[in-house]
Amino acid sequence: MSKEIKNLKEYSKAAERFEGAHLLCPGCAHSMIVREAINATDSELVISSGTGCLEVSTAVYPYTSWDVPWIHIGFENASTAVAGAEAMYKALKRKNRLYQPERDVKFLAISGDGATYDIGFQFISGCFERGHDMMYICLDNEVYANTGGQRSSSTPIGASTTTSPSGRVSYGKKEKKKDIVQIMAAHGSPYVAQVAPNKWKDMVKKLKKGFDAGGPVFINAMSACTTEWKFDPSDTIDVSDVAVDALVFPLYEIENGTKLTITYRPKNVLPIKDYLGLQGRFKHLMKKENAHIVEQWQKDVDAKWEYLQRREEAGV
Amino acid sequence: MELRGWDEFEIGSVLFSFNEKVENIPNVQQEDRSYSENNSFQASVAHWRVEKPIFNVDHCIDCFFCWIYCPDSSILAREKEVEKKGEKIMEQSMVGIDYVHCKGCGVCSSVCPTDPKSLLMVDEHDEEERVLANWPKKEGKEK
Amino acid sequence: MAEKMELHEVEVWDGNMAASHALRQAQVDVVAAYPITPSTPIVQNYSQFLADGQVDGEFVMVESEHAAMSGCVGAAAAGGRVATATSSQGFALMSEVLYQAAGMRLPIVLCVVNRALASPLNVNGDHSDMYMGRDAGWINLCSYNPQEAYDLTLMSFKIGEDLDVRLPVMMHQDGFICSHTAQSVRALDDDSAYKFVGDYIPKNPMLDFEKPVTYGSQTEEDWHFEHKARQHNDHMNSFPVIERVFKEFKELTGREYNLVEKYHMDDAEIALVALGTTVESAILTAEELRKEGIKAGVVSLRVLRPFPFIQIAEALKGVKAVATLDRSLPGGALGMLYNEITASLYHSEHRPLVTNYIYGLGGRDMTIGHLKEVFKETKANADAGKLTVPIQQFIGLRGPKLTFY
Repeated sequence: MSKEIKNLKEYSKAAERFEGAHLLCPGCAHSMIVREAINATDSELVISSGTGCLEVSTAVYPYTSWDVPWIHIGFENASTAVAGAEAMYKALKRKNRLYQPERDVKFLAISGDGATYDIGFQFISGCFERGHDMMYICLDNEVYANTGGQRSSSTPIGASTTTSPSGRVSYGKKEKKKDIVQIMAAHGSPYVAQVAPNKWKDMVKKLKKGFDAGGPVFINAMSACTTEWKFDPSDTIDVSDVAVDALVFPLYEIENGTKLTITYRPKNVLPIKDYLGLQGRFKHLMKKENAHIVEQWQKDVDAKWEYLQRREEAGV
Repeated sequence: MELRGWDEFEIGSVLFSFNEKVENIPNVQQEDRSYSENNSFQASVAHWRVEKPIFNVDHCIDCFFCWIYCPDSSILAREKEVEKKGEKIMEQSMVGIDYVHCKGCGVCSSVCPTDPKSLLMVDEHDEEERVLANWPKKEGKEK
Repeated sequence: MAEKMELHEVEVWDGNMAASHALRQAQVDVVAAYPITPSTPIVQNYSQFLADGQVDGEFVMVESEHAAMSGCVGAAAAGGRVATATSSQGFALMSEVLYQAAGMRLPIVLCVVNRALASPLNVNGDHSDMYMGRDAGWINLCSYNPQEAYDLTLMSFKIGEDLDVRLPVMMHQDGFICSHTAQSVRALDDDSAYKFVGDYIPKNPMLDFEKPVTYGSQTEEDWHFEHKARQHNDHMNSFPVIERVFKEFKELTGREYNLVEKYHMDDAEIALVALGTTVESAILTAEELRKEGIKAGVVSLRVLRPFPFIQIAEALKGVKAVATLDRSLPGGALGMLYNEITASLYHSEHRPLVTNYIYGLGGRDMTIGHLKEVFKETKANADAGKLTVPIQQFIGLRGPKLTFY
C-alpha cells in the first residue's frame, strides 16, 4: 500500500529501489521524480519505461539500476507494456497462479514528454479508455533530450531547440505547448495531476492518491533539464521553484475527469521573465524584438491560472 | 563486468537485480542486500565528478532536503545513535555521502538550508580534513 | 474456471474458427488483439468464448496492432501464456515489436492469416506478410487447411514455450482460402488438448517479486552481437524440439507433421515447392500428371523458420528439376523460396535445375491448369537437362509476358 508520509525524516527511511551509477546527467530531475515516486510506496512495483533519457540511462547492459521488475519495449508503448503485465496479473490472480499472491502490486509506466505527448499518445489514450489499473508518469522536460534536444509537442513557444532553433529570423518554436493534463482528464480517469519534484510534499500526496485510485492515473511531472534548458546542474531545484512560482507549471489535480483542485498557490507569483531568464533555451527571448513573445506568454499563463481558479471555484 | 561470449549469459538479455531471493525490498537497506554483478549499485560514476560535496555533520539539522533531491541516490540517510536529553536513542539521520554513486552535481549543497551550509562543493582533489578545518562561518541573512 | 465445451468428433470449422478453438483449449492467459481482415474472426470467436464463460484469461481489445503486440510482450514478460492474431497491414504495424518479442525470448503465439500488403490495398491472401516477418526471429509454421491450422496452433505453444527454445511462434494460414473455408476438423477434446499443450512453464517472470528482472536492456557494440548470436543459435537448434512435438502429436492423434513435407516424392523426377493452400492443389495436380506417366512430386516447408536447410535438399535430392512457387514478390529479387532452396541445393550432389514462379498475389487464383503448366515446363527442363524457360516467371498475369533471367 502507499504510505502515509508526514515528513522527510520518515520518507528518508525508504530503502532505495532505484540505484545510483545510472547514466542520467548530473542534476537530472528525472531521477528525483523516479525516486520520489518509488519511495512513496511499499507495494511491489512493475515498471515500464519508453525509450528516452531514463531508459537509456538505467538499463545499459550489463547493468540495471532497477531493483523492481522493469521492462522497456519501444519509444511509444510503455503504457501498453505495463498494461499487458497488469492484464497478466489479473489473469493469474483469477487462475490462482500468482507467484506471490499475498503481495500488493502496482503497475507504473514512466516515459518522457516525447513518448507521451507525441509518439505514444495513442497507446496511452487506449490504456486509459480500457481502464487498466496503472499509473503513467510523464517526465516532462519539454524536449527530446535523449536524441539531442529536438522540439516535442510539449516544448513551449519561443524555446530554442535543435529542430526549432532561434536564428536571425526566428524566435524558436512557434507553437504553444500541448495541454496534456486536460486531455488526459477528458478520458474520465479517476485521477490526473501535475506535479513538480521540488514540491515533494505535494507530489507524494498526489502519488498516494494516484496509487490508491484503482484505475488509470496520469501524472505530468515537470522535469527541469539541465542539459536542454541550459542551466547549471546544481540549480535544478532553484529553476523548478521559479517554474512553479511563476505558474508556468501550475500544480493541480483533476478527479474523475472534472473535479479540479489547485494544490499549490505561490505566496508571491513571479513574473514569467524570471523563469525565462534562468534558462539558455530562452536567452534570445530577452532581446527587444522578441518582447512580444514574452508578453504573450505572460498573458497565456495569467489566463490559464484564471481558468484553473474558475474551474476550481465552480467545482467542475 | 567482463565481456562474455555468446553462450555465457541468460537468454533474452535480461538482467537480475539481486543474487538471492528478496523480500520486502522497500525496507531492506542497501548494505543488507545481495546485489548481483549486474546491478548498477556495483558500478561507479565517481570519475564523472569535477567537484565533490563534503558533509559537515556539525551544522546539519537533518532536514533531508539533500536526500530527497539527490538524483543519484547518494545521500545516505540511516538510523544512527544520537544523544537526546542524556539518553542514547536511534534516530533517522543524514550520515554521509555515497562517493561511489555521486556525480558531483551540487544539488545537495544548493538545497542545504543551514548557515553555514552543511554540504559544500569543493574540488574533487581537496582533502576532507582540510575542507572541514576551513569550513565557512555563519554568513547571516543574504541580500 | 472456464466452462468446457463439448465438441463433435468432426467439427465443421474454417481456419479462423480452428485457430480460435486452439487458443481456447490452450487456456491462454492473456490475448491482446486488434481486428483486421481476414484474421478478424479469430478475435471475434474468442470474444464470444469469453462472453459465454468458456475462457477465463484476460482479453484486451487494444487500439492498434502495434499495441496488440506491445501488450503481448508486456504480458508474456510478466509470466504467462500469451497469444494474438493478425494479418497484413496489422502485421506490418506490429513488426517493430515482433523483433522485440523474439529478442526478449518470449514464447508468444501469433496466428497469422496471410494477406497481401498495400499499396495498392488488397484484403486477399498472399504471403507478403509472412515474407516480411521471416527475419524477425520467430519460429514460423505453415498450414494448408483448417485441420492443420488447429493442430499447428496447439503445437505452437508447446514448441515456443519449451525451455530449450523459448521463442515466439507464428502459425500461418492462407487468408480466405483457409481462414474462411469451412472444412471437417477433428479436434481434441478440451482436456486432451490442454494436457498436450501442458501448463505454462515460467521463465524469468516479471511478476516474481523475489527475483526482480530487467527486460529490454540496451546493448551496444560490446554486447549486442553476442545476444543476437545466442538467439540465432537457439533458433537454429530448435529443430529437435519441433520434431519431438510433431512426434508426440502424432502419437496422440495419428496426424503426422514433418519439417519438410513430401508428397509423391519417392520416385519423383520433377517437383514443385510451395507453401500453404497451394500445396493441396499441387498434390492433386501431381496425381493427375502421374496418370499421364509424369513422375511429379510436391514438397512443402512445414517449418519456414528455422529454415530446414539440410532437410529441403534431402527432400529434393532425387529430382532433376524443381519449380519454386512464391506467393509474394520480394521487391527487386527472385522469390524467397527460390533463393533459399537454391542455396540449400548448391551444396547437394545433384544440383537439380531450379526455376521460380511468382503467383497468386492479392488472392489471384492458382488453378490446377496453372500448376499443370508449371509441372510441364519443369518436366521440359528436366528432359532437356537445362533451363528451357527463364528463371523467374509470373503465373496468371495479364499483359506482355514478364520474365527475368
